[in-house]
Amino acid sequence: MNLLESIGGTAIAYMGAALAAALACVGSAKGTGITGEAGAGLITEDPSKSGKVMILQVIPGTQGLYGFVIFFLAFLKISGAGDISLINGAAVAFACLPIAIGGLMSAIAQGKVAAASINILAKKPDDWSKGMIMCIVVEFYAILCLLASFLMLNAIAL
Amino acid sequence: MKKLRLVALRSRKEELLRDLIQMGCVEFREIESEIQGTEAEGLVTRESSEMMRLKSQHAALTGAVTTLGKYVPVKSKLLAPKPECEGQTLLDDSDLEAAMRDAEAIEGAEDRIRRIAAEESRQRGVIESLVPWLPLDADLGVEGTGRCAVMKGSIPGRVKLDEVDAALRQINEEAELFRVSADKNQNYVFLLCMKEDLPAMQECLRSFGFSASAVTGMNGTARECTAAAEQTIRDLAAERADCVKTIESYAARREAMMLAADKVAARMSMAEAEERCFGTEQAVVMEGWIPEEREEELGKVFDKYDCAWETAEPEEGEYPTVPVELKNNNFTNSLNMVTNMYSLPAYGTVDPNPLMAPFFILFFGLMMADVGYGLLMTIGAIVIFKTMKPRGGTRVFAQLLLYGGISTALCGVITGGFFSDAIDQVVRLVSGNPQWTVASYIPGWGILNPQEKSIAVLVGSLVLGLIHMNVGMAVNFVMRWKKGDKAGAIFEEGAQWLILLTGILWALSMDMVEGVLGFKVDIGNINGIPVPLCAALLMMLYGAGREAKGFGKITAAFGCIYNFATGWFGDILSYSRIMALMLAGGVIGQVFNTVAIMPAQNAGKFSVISVIVFILIFLVGHALNFGLNILGCFVHDLRLQCLEFFGKFYQDGGKPFRPLKFNGKFYQVKEN
Repeated sequence: MNLLESIGGTAIAYMGAALAAALACVGSAKGTGITGEAGAGLITEDPSKSGKVMILQVIPGTQGLYGFVIFFLAFLKISGAGDISLINGAAVAFACLPIAIGGLMSAIAQGKVAAASINILAKKPDDWSKGMIMCIVVEFYAILCLLASFLMLNAIAL
Repeated sequence: MKKLRLVALRSRKEELLRDLIQMGCVEFREIESEIQGTEAEGLVTRESSEMMRLKSQHAALTGAVTTLGKYVPVKSKLLAPKPECEGQTLLDDSDLEAAMRDAEAIEGAEDRIRRIAAEESRQRGVIESLVPWLPLDADLGVEGTGRCAVMKGSIPGRVKLDEVDAALRQINEEAELFRVSADKNQNYVFLLCMKEDLPAMQECLRSFGFSASAVTGMNGTARECTAAAEQTIRDLAAERADCVKTIESYAARREAMMLAADKVAARMSMAEAEERCFGTEQAVVMEGWIPEEREEELGKVFDKYDCAWETAEPEEGEYPTVPVELKNNNFTNSLNMVTNMYSLPAYGTVDPNPLMAPFFILFFGLMMADVGYGLLMTIGAIVIFKTMKPRGGTRVFAQLLLYGGISTALCGVITGGFFSDAIDQVVRLVSGNPQWTVASYIPGWGILNPQEKSIAVLVGSLVLGLIHMNVGMAVNFVMRWKKGDKAGAIFEEGAQWLILLTGILWALSMDMVEGVLGFKVDIGNINGIPVPLCAALLMMLYGAGREAKGFGKITAAFGCIYNFATGWFGDILSYSRIMALMLAGGVIGQVFNTVAIMPAQNAGKFSVISVIVFILIFLVGHALNFGLNILGCFVHDLRLQCLEFFGKFYQDGGKPFRPLKFNGKFYQVKEN
């Protein structure tokens, strides 16, 4: 407890904000990366599909954005609050966890779906929107994580 | 749909097909299996068509149009409609041959251009391979004299040429090794020796890593050969320019070729229908499906061509093969996109579009819920309608966009969103009043703001879900009742409704509710036991087990309870996504607004720079949020319809109605 107190609530709250942005962005980077690799392969064969490849590639990018949204809200809260108690700091940190972990994992999972959808785009270009729909199904869980984090953050009064 | 059986005179077949393709309402059916094994089998043979020839013509014409587009691009306006033409024009054969000749000329020129490109790159390779030999004055084609042999090749750069030379001279003092040129890796050398020493010399050179030059089959010095190759490249370039000019000279014939391609496409459709017919020397027999309401109109055409024909209602056994055409008005039509994406309803079951349309559009609006986004969608749809005059799939999409947009804008008033909270944030900063809100000026604005009243919105979403699913159940109830499965209707849908109703009564009688209401609601409970609810549960269990026997009754009952509990709870909770998406869109938009206004907020007022920053971040952020939301809301609305709603009543597996009609790539046929 002494150790935690010496760190202080503010630092712990910042840690939560940092995790929200960092982990979600790592997930998005990985997700868009996986899709980008697959997409680059298709573009070497058919450059005219680059627009659609790009749309598929940005889909796993939203988790990073969600992470940033939560980071931003937490940041506004912390920076505007002055000294934060240990309990409140920990509460902010926990509130950031859903989007941090959920964003990380869902972006990677979504990246894999998007990369597989690149195959649809290559072989059945008319049905590529179905691949997009499959990606959006994964997206929903990232949205739920965003909401969980948002609602908790909103409920914490510093 | 009605089943059509028709016998026509062979001499009038062509004219009949031409009329049918213009009407676009007869689907030809494969009848081989019905002819097999009957007396007719020996009498009739399958009609032949010119499909192969038509296909290659069509490929040539579309290929020529694409090639022409590559060399003489047309600036196509975004959202421009397909040009229109009369159906009669597409059946007119004149100019078809001329267009074919033009197309072949274009394809010929394009083919020549491809060969020229290949030849050019070969010549460039030659020039490159000659570079090391440019300093050599000797003729590359000379392989020696009567006594003397020459060899050209390369030795790795790390080998000292003096050592090679010394080794060669040990074999014969007369041998001479010249270094022609060198680059980073290789020395290019020229060896002069006696013919009889050649094998020994080669052996010796090989030990130093010598490899013979790939430059063979050339006459003249390297300089002369390079000059010749360069001349060839210049000639090829001139020839290519000629070919390009040839192609460009056909630019004025583009429309004619597009029209010809569609003419051939119409012929292909007719040929496809023809291949499904059987015929004798004088007559042709066919079967197919026609929409009921066009029977009279078709009858007149058939009589005109002296056909023998009859129609019949499809028998129940045939239902799986009967094609389905959704009949919809302008409003419910917009949902065709959803139904087609899922699967058409089986023939003889309910068309889900009219039932689904109000829910789909309402749910979409609730999820998106923003006046700004709604207006954008509405305007977008109107622009598509005005500029494209869309047909088919695009028209359906534009309709859906329009209704979705209106619904989004209306729901946006209730949730209080115009590009999220953009108005509030801007006016608060400009007026200096941090409490300013739109809600105080517009009554009803934001009365169901999901951020403030999240529980109410959540409960509202679930209640909407309950209504939605009950509509689905009601449809199934009616369908079963009509089919005669009255017991099934009562014991499944009926029992579930009773459980729902009595469950509500039971919930009302709880002490917790009494605390809220201030008085006790006590209907039907005997000694605190909810008798009606128990009765309803028993009714459902009986219904589940009524067709099973022995031990099967018990497993059926357990299965029923499990399905009921998980099904209903899972399905209803699934509607919470309405609240989740409504909230998420608003929150993300709000964050973008906050980030955008931050520079101005810090300064306390808007300056030129902070306005620019605001507009930039606002535009990018909301474009992203809008795109993501429109896709997300559509997909999740689709899920609610296809999984939760359709699960209650829908029977899919319908075969789409594919009548003989024009389906050209470039023109759309004017509707009469």
